[in-house]
Amino acid sequence: MSRILVAEDDPHILRLISMWLKRQGHDVQEARNGLSARDLLMAEPVDVLVSDVNMPGMDGLELIEAVAGEGCVQRGIVVLTNRWDHVSIRDQLAEWDVHVLPKPFSPSRLSELVESLTAAGTAESQTEA
Amino acid sequence: MRLRRSLWAGVLPEGLGLCFVAVIFAGFAGAYLVAEHFWTEQSATVRQAEADTLAQIHAKMLGLVADKDEDAIQAVLGDLSDMPRVCAVRWTDPDGAARFEWPRRLGAVPGLDGAERDGELRPAAASVDIRTASGSAGTLRLELRPRNDANHHAYLIWNWGIAACLTLLVFAVVYRRLRRHLKPVAAIERNLHSYADGIEREFMTLMLSDSLGSIAQGWNRLIEELSSMKRELQNTAQSAQSQDVLARFESAGFRRVVDRLPFGILRVDASQSITYANASAAALLGRALDDVIGLPINDIIDDPTVTRALVGARSRATAGLSVDHTRTDGNEETTLRFRILPMAAKSPDSEALLTIEDIGQLRESQRARDEFLYHVTHELRTPLTNIHAYVETLTKPGFDDEQTRKECYNVIISETRRLSGLVENILSISQLEVGSARLDAGEVDLQRLIRQMVQDNLGAADEKRIDLTLALPPKVPKVSGDKQRLSVLLNNLIGNAIKYTPAEGKVQVKLDVTGQCIRIGVSDTGIGISPEDRQHVFDKFYRAASDSVQMVTGTGLGLAIAREVARLHGGEIHLESELGKGSTFTIELPLPSSDRTEVTGR
Repeated sequence: MSRILVAEDDPHILRLISMWLKRQGHDVQEARNGLSARDLLMAEPVDVLVSDVNMPGMDGLELIEAVAGEGCVQRGIVVLTNRWDHVSIRDQLAEWDVHVLPKPFSPSRLSELVESLTAAGTAESQTEA
Repeated sequence: MRLRRSLWAGVLPEGLGLCFVAVIFAGFAGAYLVAEHFWTEQSATVRQAEADTLAQIHAKMLGLVADKDEDAIQAVLGDLSDMPRVCAVRWTDPDGAARFEWPRRLGAVPGLDGAERDGELRPAAASVDIRTASGSAGTLRLELRPRNDANHHAYLIWNWGIAACLTLLVFAVVYRRLRRHLKPVAAIERNLHSYADGIEREFMTLMLSDSLGSIAQGWNRLIEELSSMKRELQNTAQSAQSQDVLARFESAGFRRVVDRLPFGILRVDASQSITYANASAAALLGRALDDVIGLPINDIIDDPTVTRALVGARSRATAGLSVDHTRTDGNEETTLRFRILPMAAKSPDSEALLTIEDIGQLRESQRARDEFLYHVTHELRTPLTNIHAYVETLTKPGFDDEQTRKECYNVIISETRRLSGLVENILSISQLEVGSARLDAGEVDLQRLIRQMVQDNLGAADEKRIDLTLALPPKVPKVSGDKQRLSVLLNNLIGNAIKYTPAEGKVQVKLDVTGQCIRIGVSDTGIGISPEDRQHVFDKFYRAASDSVQMVTGTGLGLAIAREVARLHGGEIHLESELGKGSTFTIELPLPSSDRTEVTGR
């Protein structure tokens, strides 16, 4: 079981992602905007961050800039975007190891991605052990 | 007669023929007067000679009578009878006895015919009494033949005829010389007439070297210049056409139009100087009109690309070549687009027209369009993402419990509705903005429409336990409008009020009729709108950045559509709001003029 934070302003998407990841047995936290997501991350680090880009207050990019270097996210970041320029978003976040999923996205593709990130982390930690 | 006419008409200028006729008549009259004068002079001389002769005879007779020399007297009287006008001579002594009588019988005067004798022309008679110291010696009587008129006439005709002939001769000589001299003038006149009649003919060069040579030379030079001008005009037909266009352009009316065009126009001559600029051009170049005309274009536009394009466009005759140039005026930047139109084909020396547009506005509208598209795709992707994700969820085996399935169906249905509403709104706002929307105008019962809209929103209000109330006056005049669009307007305002009002709040819809208009107010006790957001709340796709707004789904099109619909009905929409306390949107729709008095009277 991994700790996952989902930051998404659309309640339906947030509910759906949360539903899928919980079904896979993860501990899922929800945030409706960038600022509350940052506060949650600062309070307690997570394994994977799933974040939307367009969010009120603090957007996804600002959120990642703020938390990625702080060790708040340990295994990987998935960015969901419905902006045209998802390629440029990928470039902007090049220094952080992020996975970009353009919207509309497939929830099964997202859960596979999250699964691979958490599994890799688990494998690494097992090797380390 | 025809010959005479052509003789005159070809040679002499108009009016000169008449002068000649007058001169001839004057000549004849002069000749007559001269002849008459000579006749009178001659007659006087003859009369004087006769008087002198008589006086001499008288004196001689006195001497002879005194000497009593009868033979000498007879001889003198015989001489007397030889005088041309003397027709009778009689010498009688004091006793009355005839001493000498010639002719023998008085009355038979030679040279006088019967008519003259019996008529008025009786011979003149003169009697001279010859007296000596010893008394009267006798009487001498002479009868003179009257003056001969036939002679007089013959004399006049002869003399006058000679004078007339001389006059004619002089005239003929003058005419010949004049004719020679006037020939080139007549030719010029003929040519001018031909030219005036529009007859296409080559001007014949006159080869004359007489005393009027200078005129002919001048005329020849004139013709040569005219011919070369004609050739030049024919050779440069295109330039002539453009000259014509320019001439028309210069005419005041057309120029006034060009001066008022919303885009700039410059005319640049071969030496790159500006020969014309309209007011817009001067304004776009940031100068006064007098500060532009006559100056080289390099002085006005300090950009070598424009000058190069100007030269290039003229040598290649590339019509419509355009160059962008950014002009900096203090902190302000204006991007101008120059379009270059050469006036003649492939002629680097020709004039060129330049049009100037401010493409800042064009770029602004392009930016607005891009932004609109960006918002549209963004807004469309959100419901699409939801539908896509929830449909996929339904197909997965792990999510087949009843509650999840029900949740998925509900989301799919609501998001599909949202998607179609969104598409509807986008179409609506684009139609309204470009002005292609037409009002399906008819009589609208606002009272009924508002009731229906409130009714439709009761469900949403009940969900949030919001108190939705409606206040209507007893009588509401019908208005002219588009029922469908007015219902969208009301629905957007009431729907927004419910969406942005926290649970257990209040939303009030009320309608007032004032003298000039119908006022519909939608008030809520919702989150309110900050002063900054109030300025943009009617802009399309604008949504306040606050969390309380972002928590609520919305497209940012509802109020933009509401404002456009109100405008289309000749009305307005106002907003009063206080952050955290609530908002009131007021729509004012004009009343039909017939209803205004009725309401005012109430």
